[in-house]
Amino acid sequence: MTGSTPTVDRHLTDRPPRAPAGLGIAPAESSRHGIAVASVERLGKRYGRRQAVDGVSFEVKEREVVGLLGPNGSGKTTILRVITGYLRPSEGTVRIDGFDVVRDGHQARARIGYVPENAPLYGHMRVDEFLHFMGRLRGLRGGALRRGIESARARLALEPVGDAVIGRLSRGYRQRVSIAQAVLNEPKLLVLDEPTNGLDPRQVIELRGLLRTLARDSAVLITSHVLAEMERVADRVAILLDGRLLTVHQLAGAGRGTSLRVRARADRADEVAVALSGLAGIGGVTREEPEGGLAGWRVEVSEAGAAPRVAAALCLAGIASVETVETASDLEELFLRLTASRALQ
Amino acid sequence: MTAFLALVAKELRALFVSPIAYAVIAVFLVLNGYGFAVTLIATKQATLVNVFFQAAVQLVLFVPLVTMRQFAEERRGGTLELLLTSPVREGDIVLAKFAASMGMLLAMVALTLVYSAILARFSTPDWGPIYSGYLGLTLLAGALVSIGLAVSALTANQVVAAVVSLGVFGMLWAIDAWAALLPSPIDNWVLGLSLLARFQPFALGAMYASDFGFFLAVTLLGLFLAVRGLARR
Repeated sequence: MTGSTPTVDRHLTDRPPRAPAGLGIAPAESSRHGIAVASVERLGKRYGRRQAVDGVSFEVKEREVVGLLGPNGSGKTTILRVITGYLRPSEGTVRIDGFDVVRDGHQARARIGYVPENAPLYGHMRVDEFLHFMGRLRGLRGGALRRGIESARARLALEPVGDAVIGRLSRGYRQRVSIAQAVLNEPKLLVLDEPTNGLDPRQVIELRGLLRTLARDSAVLITSHVLAEMERVADRVAILLDGRLLTVHQLAGAGRGTSLRVRARADRADEVAVALSGLAGIGGVTREEPEGGLAGWRVEVSEAGAAPRVAAALCLAGIASVETVETASDLEELFLRLTASRALQ
Repeated sequence: MTAFLALVAKELRALFVSPIAYAVIAVFLVLNGYGFAVTLIATKQATLVNVFFQAAVQLVLFVPLVTMRQFAEERRGGTLELLLTSPVREGDIVLAKFAASMGMLLAMVALTLVYSAILARFSTPDWGPIYSGYLGLTLLAGALVSIGLAVSALTANQVVAAVVSLGVFGMLWAIDAWAALLPSPIDNWVLGLSLLARFQPFALGAMYASDFGFFLAVTLLGLFLAVRGLARR
């Protein structure tokens, strides 16, 4: 197990700072990110008698990636739909760049790029035609529209499929088209609902990189029920259960812990020790009991990305076999602890 | 305006991508052409009264096929979320769908102008009833499309939207038959709601401000209900 006690930066009972009159923007909380682009205060949403979201408050700041994490039915999509103006809140307020999503809905929506779950698109349109339509819907025209489309096509690598009919595209390309329409007017807030659903591993990795790139220009709010995915893309994670915000968790950056179990013939133990001492990214080495005539070491990895480098170096040198062992992360432990205690209640 | 025009263009394209528009136009023209030819040969009169009544009944039957998919399909496919989260007003979305549907239906009705041309080529028709008849068809189409859109805005199922629209149209078309069973003055109120009773003067060459106002009011009410249907979320 890696790690220390999970860091919790705000609990559900805490309220976000009050917005200054007339601006609706809360003061910045951290020096790393700027002012709040999205400010959600005591948000509630009822469907008939069912309370789908109850008293949720959080913020998304400039150039920050915030994840909404929770099991199915925890209210993630409902929160996104209220933020994007698709649903009206039953209680509370949501402000985008200072504009209330109910009172100044038009202005608020103009500052949001939204990628709904399952990437709904007009299947009969061609990719360029669709981007053109969505750009005009966002009020772009002339040179601004052309530049927006070209930029979105380039960022999402859509040039090869510009003339393709959307209905015939693969799931991955459809997801890219959906993201492209959301970034056409360089929104202040980019909202993505379960964007990795249905993507293959390569597409998930590409999307992850893309999100980090997009976060340089926009604040990003993303939902997922996959913990590992959240750890890799988000700066902070808001954990939801039954429509309530349990906590907002600041991710330390290390994410899931990794260690390596190294096995080698006893007569090559010295070679292994020398090799390990020369590799970067190793936090500590512990000798383990020999097993089946093989010497053993437990190697703790101190840097993200070091595990495959160390494993490859030892295996390619032909001196040892390496098994990667993943350990639970802070977020995983926190999530399990919070959801388990709530389940017991 | 840019967004509105983009919406209208997209709706028109969507209508003509689907085979429904072509099927509706083809059947409409075949039935009306047949009716026009038979009436002309049988009566030898240079009039389109029969064509107007036939066309009106066909609008009652076909408009649900045009409007059923408008919101229901967008809701089912999730694209309504894209539209409603864009910086456009619900009213613009409804008006764009109304404009596109009316564009398609008026183009279809306009193709029957060839009957007028035939009458003008071989006789001297009374143009008054022809002008008023086409105006009546336009007003009737507007009222039917707006009601159809309001129904479509309330459901995600196209078939349900079509069946409910057809039921409402049928009731409003023939409601005058019930009026005879009702005591005065309720019978007059009910008669006033009848699409057939309101359309009839237009087809026969008489135009009343009250009929004009009725169709306009129904159209505006339908559009309002469609916007409210979209806003109910």
